[in-house]
Amino acid sequence: MDKILNFLEEQTGGTCYRSYKYCVDETEIPSVNYEESQSYTLQRDRYGETDTSLKITKDISKTAKQIQGNTPLFHYFLDGSRRIYKVDDIELGRKIFPIIGGQIGVACCKRENPSTFKKAILEHNLVMALPSEADKDGKNTEQFFNSVTQKINNLAKLQQYNLKFSKILTYPSKQLDRGETFENLGIAKIQDEMIECEKKIVSELVKKNLLNQDKYLLKDGSLQYKPMKSGDFRELSKIKSNYQCVVGLSKQFNPELSKDKTGKSNATKIAKLPLYHRTPAFMYQTDIVSTEVHFCIWYLRIRDVKYTESPFSGVVKVEKVLVTDNELEKGLGSDEVDLISANIINERSPVAYGTDTRWANHLYPIYLTEKYVKSQYISDLHFLNLF
Amino acid sequence: MTKRIGKIIATEKMPTTVDEFYFWTDKERVIKPFDVVKVEHIKNSVTFGVVEEISHFTDSPSFLAGYISSDFGDVDHKANTERIGMNYVKARVVGNTEGIFTPALDGHLVSLADEEDVKKALGLDEIKNPLPCGYIEMYEPPYDIRIPVHFNSHFLIGPEGAHLNISGISGLAAKTSYAMFLLKAIQNQYIHSEKENESVAFVILNVKGRDLVAIDEPNNDIGNADKAIYEMLDLAPEPFTNVKYYYPYSKEYPTTYANKEDVKSQTKQGKAFQFKYIYEDDKESIDLLFSNVDDPTQTMESIVNYISTGQGKFGGITNWEELSKEIHEHTKKGDTSGRDKEITVSSWRKFYRLFKKTLDKSSIFANRLGDGEVRLKEQIKNIQKNDVYVIDVARMDEETQGFVFGDVMRAVYDLKLGQIERKESDIPSKIIVFIDELNKYASKDVPKSSPILRQILDITERGRSLGIILFGAEQFRSDIHDRVKGNCSSYAYGRTNAIEVSKGDYQYVPPVYKSMLTRLKQGEYIIQNPVFRSLLNIKFPKPIYKQFKNG
Repeated sequence: MDKILNFLEEQTGGTCYRSYKYCVDETEIPSVNYEESQSYTLQRDRYGETDTSLKITKDISKTAKQIQGNTPLFHYFLDGSRRIYKVDDIELGRKIFPIIGGQIGVACCKRENPSTFKKAILEHNLVMALPSEADKDGKNTEQFFNSVTQKINNLAKLQQYNLKFSKILTYPSKQLDRGETFENLGIAKIQDEMIECEKKIVSELVKKNLLNQDKYLLKDGSLQYKPMKSGDFRELSKIKSNYQCVVGLSKQFNPELSKDKTGKSNATKIAKLPLYHRTPAFMYQTDIVSTEVHFCIWYLRIRDVKYTESPFSGVVKVEKVLVTDNELEKGLGSDEVDLISANIINERSPVAYGTDTRWANHLYPIYLTEKYVKSQYISDLHFLNLF
Repeated sequence: MTKRIGKIIATEKMPTTVDEFYFWTDKERVIKPFDVVKVEHIKNSVTFGVVEEISHFTDSPSFLAGYISSDFGDVDHKANTERIGMNYVKARVVGNTEGIFTPALDGHLVSLADEEDVKKALGLDEIKNPLPCGYIEMYEPPYDIRIPVHFNSHFLIGPEGAHLNISGISGLAAKTSYAMFLLKAIQNQYIHSEKENESVAFVILNVKGRDLVAIDEPNNDIGNADKAIYEMLDLAPEPFTNVKYYYPYSKEYPTTYANKEDVKSQTKQGKAFQFKYIYEDDKESIDLLFSNVDDPTQTMESIVNYISTGQGKFGGITNWEELSKEIHEHTKKGDTSGRDKEITVSSWRKFYRLFKKTLDKSSIFANRLGDGEVRLKEQIKNIQKNDVYVIDVARMDEETQGFVFGDVMRAVYDLKLGQIERKESDIPSKIIVFIDELNKYASKDVPKSSPILRQILDITERGRSLGIILFGAEQFRSDIHDRVKGNCSSYAYGRTNAIEVSKGDYQYVPPVYKSMLTRLKQGEYIIQNPVFRSLLNIKFPKPIYKQFKNG
């Protein structure tokens, strides 16, 4: 039965080396930490929230207690993940490029009541990242790779298992910068594809009118999407209205990058943030995304520092896109900031203690969504043997 | 009517096998051990399984995670999301519709079974010579089903297999009620049987209270629900027929717990008698009086032999009183006339003490029979088809109870061995003897030389071919002699305690069934019979004959 590699050799005119196939995630953590590479431009002397009197931190525990027992604000939870494989090396015109394979999974789960947690939308895609060089002619690369994808999906081996590759992504075959590798370029492509998937799901939720003032979506990770060269959702500035009821929650953040309103480092304040307190919300804008998009960002401690490993674990970074003109001018309503914070505090249990080292920063519904996504992957052996 | 309840899970550590499989169900799904489930399998076949264990688990890796999840030990804390959890069920494979042994496959659907399926799964659909032994109930409404269960009578009372052992703690297990339920079912079946060579008679020993002294009178407390069950089992809700009661003789009033009026009325109707033992006819049974006496040097046995063969002056003795005197003579020092020199005076003294104790306590050892008085041996010799003899020994002391039981067994044995001059075709082809507290006569602690134990062993080992069937009941199965248990074809386990189930007898019982044994309700049994594919958890209706409150 034809394997994908043979077919790729045939289509690209290259030579596959049949090198060792492995799952990158297991053997090595990619050196590029995409989420950490964000850099903000603080909007100096502008407040991220309407209450401008808040100078230090604010205790949210009372609000959290008050709303406990009410229907929680967060109804939908979104998480995306990817699994990357180094499938082979291919020689194209005397240069050697890696063939990167990947499984992308993005799921949105909904919580109808405390005991019913179910899938709302799932995207599970198999993708491949090849160098742009793989297209011999280089005239109409997109068409070429689309046609290759089509043909791969018609291979008997894939048909037998009822599997399909959704896309072949291309990474640039340019001269590498210092410290850059083709592997990482390929991985970055797959990561972008995953983010695209996330945006697509948010758009779907909005289109179906599922998100509203009482039903928010809590998304794992940052909302700072950099513009893409292609795709339906390439620019956040164009689709920011989709994010009216979406909150981004980062488990990990670089404390050094966090600044207060005056531009001084905020790291010690975050480290000393008392339990169930939040910082004032700041207004940021980042060039990576677009100068037109402003974010309201604040930090919130959900675990007592005495139980956590470091002063920063137990603190989460909360992000919200500012959508309306009013929000852009005055910042997010402080009541909403408090409400979101209180709801996040109330999501603090159960914990993933013992199963996830990031338990102190993890929220259980997000953890479950992540588990669900990962459970949908086909096994590594199965994936690698398609090639 | 089927209901899908889950899917098969086969993992590296817990694969499905020829014998068992696992499946997940919703955490709120009500299902219980012994429920039958069916699994879609290859080649359009269906694999059946019986639920053994049900476990619930969550993604919590440790107890500590649970504690932390409750906001570091706050009992009032309520989480927005419950921890994800499910139940997984272990089921034992009992068969496949196409006889396929391939293990159930991962992801295949598991559903509740309907009545036909359950019968097929448990092997209840093809039982020959059916004899009702209870019913099983499965699932929760609206899917609940109730199915009658039948033994193959050839495996309960011969010729394929014989003898039944019932165990369970007093009161809660309702051992007597279950034995009587089965006996009633047997009588019901055979009383209408036209087969010449298949007939039964029953000998029942009443060992406690008034339990069994009115089994031919109806139970007025029985409700419509129970009547419906009798109807479902195809049993007439009527008490036993052809019953005769035998009470131990006493001068004023028989030694019994039964009501005076009842006994009088039974006697008037010609169905109650008082029994006695007459020396000249029953002297050969004297050995039975000493069955529980440890006799390592066999001196007691020598004395019994000496007496029953009429050696010394024992030859001319005609009644118990004379016998007692003669034995007493042998206890005197220095008197050597007519004494067996092998037996020491101290042995005679021990013998005399034991003998005298029994003789003085009981009036059944008499000189001759009066009106309405009978000898049990004689009665058993003449037992007719479908007769039910109830022998009341409840008020007797333990030695005399043993004596009577041993004597009855011996009489039955003699009858079936053809020692009695009676036309073969007139003798019931099967005689079923029911005795509660079997542990008194056949426990592991009973001296090996005990004549009653020997008699019981003979019956359990050879009774099947002779047509003598023993229905024995006891509190603790583990107490019973291995050869007695081993020869039973059917077992009924009622409620018992945790210490008992930890014994070797229950080694093959799955752990969950073991703990179920400690929680069974009254009227619930776990039964084992060669024709069933697995142990069955059955129920049976309330007794159909008169019940006495307070025993």
